[in-house]
Formats: sequence, C-alpha cells, structure tokens
Amino acid sequence: MAAQPAPSGARIRRPCQNRGVKTLVLIPAWNEEDSIEAVVGDARSHFPGADVLVVDDGSTDRTAAWARRAGARVASLPFNQGVGAAHQTAYIFAMARGYELVAQLDGDGQHPAVELARLAAAVRSGEADLAVGSRFAEASGYRSSFARRLGQRLFSLLVSTSTRQTFTDTTSGMRALNRRAMDLFVRRYSSEFAEVESLQQAVRAGLRVVEVPVRMLPREHGRSFITPLGSAFYIFKTLVVLLIGQLRPRQVSS
Amino acid sequence: MTAPSLLAAAEPVVRLTPQARIIAALLALVFMGLILDLIRRDRLLERYSIVWFLLGLAMLAGAAFPVLLELLAKAMGVRDVTIALFSVTLLVLLGLSLNFSVIASRQAKQITRLAQQSAIESVEPAEPGRGPEAEESAPEANESAPDSAPADSAPADGAPGDAP
Repeated sequence: MAAQPAPSGARIRRPCQNRGVKTLVLIPAWNEEDSIEAVVGDARSHFPGADVLVVDDGSTDRTAAWARRAGARVASLPFNQGVGAAHQTAYIFAMARGYELVAQLDGDGQHPAVELARLAAAVRSGEADLAVGSRFAEASGYRSSFARRLGQRLFSLLVSTSTRQTFTDTTSGMRALNRRAMDLFVRRYSSEFAEVESLQQAVRAGLRVVEVPVRMLPREHGRSFITPLGSAFYIFKTLVVLLIGQLRPRQVSS
Repeated sequence: MTAPSLLAAAEPVVRLTPQARIIAALLALVFMGLILDLIRRDRLLERYSIVWFLLGLAMLAGAAFPVLLELLAKAMGVRDVTIALFSVTLLVLLGLSLNFSVIASRQAKQITRLAQQSAIESVEPAEPGRGPEAEESAPEANESAPDSAPADSAPADGAPGDAP
C-alpha cells in the first residue's frame, strides 16, 4: 500500500473521533524503512482520530524520517533495546499524556490495521483490558515454517497452562490495551520476552485478556532473524522466564 | 575424642610452605596496591573497591598468620589447608560475581528507563496540519475535515462488522 499523504489542513478535534476515546496507535520499528510508511498510512486511515506513535528502536536506517513523513510522531530510542522496551516506551508516553487506549501493530507490515481496529473495539467496549490478535485462533490462512509452528505450539501450551486460559498465538505483537494494562506494563515489562511474558503477567494480575482471531500477512520486506538454533535457545529461555514468572509475586492492578 | 579428630591426629595437617606464604603475601600487597592505584586514577569507585581491599587484607592475614588458615580448615572439617583456602576463595568469588550480575541488571534497567525518557522527550510536539493531533486548530471546514469526519464513525465501528 502506498503511503497516505499527510492531510494538509487541520483536522477536527480528537475527542470527536473514536467515540471519544483518546487513542494512540503504537508501531514499534527497528530498521523498517521499506515498510514503515505504508504501515503508518494504513494505521492512520483506520484510526482517523488517533495519534500514531512510531517507537524507533535505535534504527540505523531512515525509519524515523519516513515515519515522520507519513504523518506519525516518532519516539527515538538512542540504541536498540528490544521490542519490549519499545512497547514500554509507548505505554509510559500514553500514561503520561492521558491516552485511554493503545493499539499496537508491528512495523514490518504483517498486521493490517483493519484487524487492529477490531481489537481496539474489544477493549473500547470494556470487554477486555488487553486484546491480542491471534493468527491461529481459527483458520486464518497464515503459513509459517514447521519449526516456528512447533515453537508457537509450545509457547501456547506453556502460557495456557500457567494462566489456565487458552492462548493460541502468544508471540503476537498485534494488541490493544487500556490504561489498566498500560499501568501494569509501565511498572514491569520484559524487554526480551515481552509478548509471551506479558500475557502471563496480565492474567496473573487479574486483567481480562481476550484473544481475537485476526488475519495477518506474510513478511514483504526484510527477513526474520530467527535461525533454528536461535529459536531452540529462545524457546528454552522463554520456558525459564515463564517458570520464574509463575514464582513472581502477583502484581496488583489498580 | 571423636573419630574425625583421631583420624586427623593419625595424618598430619597439610600446611602452606613458607615459600607459598611469601608469594601469597607479595601477591596480596601487589593486589592492594593495584586497587589503590585504580581508585587514585578514578578507574574504580570506592563503593566497589572496599570488598576487593578486604579480600587483599584477608590474603595478607592468611599468609602472615597460618594459624588462621588452620583454624578455618579445622572448622570446615578438612585436613588440607589448601583445600579450605580454595573452597572459601571460590565461594567468595561466586558471591561477588553474582553481586555484579545483580548490579549489572539494575543498571541495565536504569539505562533502559533513561533511554525511554529521552525517546519520549524526542517526540516532536504535534504540528498543526501534520499529525492528527492538531490541538490548536479549531474544527473547521477544511478539505480534510469532510473525509475524516464521517470516517470516525465508519471504520472503527464498521471494521468489526465486516471482518468476521
């Protein structure tokens, strides 16, 4: 999709849109100059009243510049810190600026904003504190390699067991959350195992977490940096993190 | 008399040789000198140096008064003074490196928070006409207003309806 041209004139006030819920669309991006403009444009067209914040996780390419050109506001981390720190940056920002809803999607273009809008609706309606988009919840036509599917299944099993709630896509970065969830994640948020651990953390803190079936797209630009040995090690590390997570004192959400 | 002490009487206690003691004492002195020098040149914070300095003093004491090591070995129930020495040294080093991992973790967290604060401060204030958050501009009949006004009721609500 081509980048949406930035609207030239003033827009109407935020509270008039998205049913009055002040919304921040979060796009974490690390060296995504090929896709970021399209992602920002897609987000802006489906969240017309929302602010779009690209958290640039220490990119060395033109990600920040292209995001700005596409009409997003950009928070630049001075060096790469992992997707968790990028998410948390936006939660801190959103808490401080009074946003009531954060809707997030990955900067690589795998997450269509139209699907994210459904997650946002689930949170806005008060049905959930945290809504997670799942590729696997039902036939969504998403394909990935055998090793990744195996890892996904294992994570699902672990998180589902530890939370006593079924999760099918624990590594999904397409989410929507309200201030209750943001507040929890501002206090503590894993930087390496963000997606998986945050589910456990949220359920343990008593938040209502729902999984919403979504359609995702295959990667168009760039390559996944995951190698077989790397994913085996990642799975092992995540296992340890989840076990430790079970032993952590429960956080009380306000 | 208990059995272990009978055995200990049968086999003599293994002690440090005078040569080993001299070498240990010299090393301890060099070690403490190195630490003093690092502090003097601002390469080591005092806060982290005290524990190393104490370690150097302990080394020196062990070399100067071998009876301390023998007492230690006796307390641990080992006959060989060198084994007692190695075990204690290993434990102390383990504890220290764990301590440093804790410090490193805390600092990593602090660095992350600093980076996040700086990132948030780097967010440019919304410019009128660029971002959607143009607070100063009043609602007006602008060319972009007509297509954004109906949009607010359509896609956000329309999307859930058409997607499933």
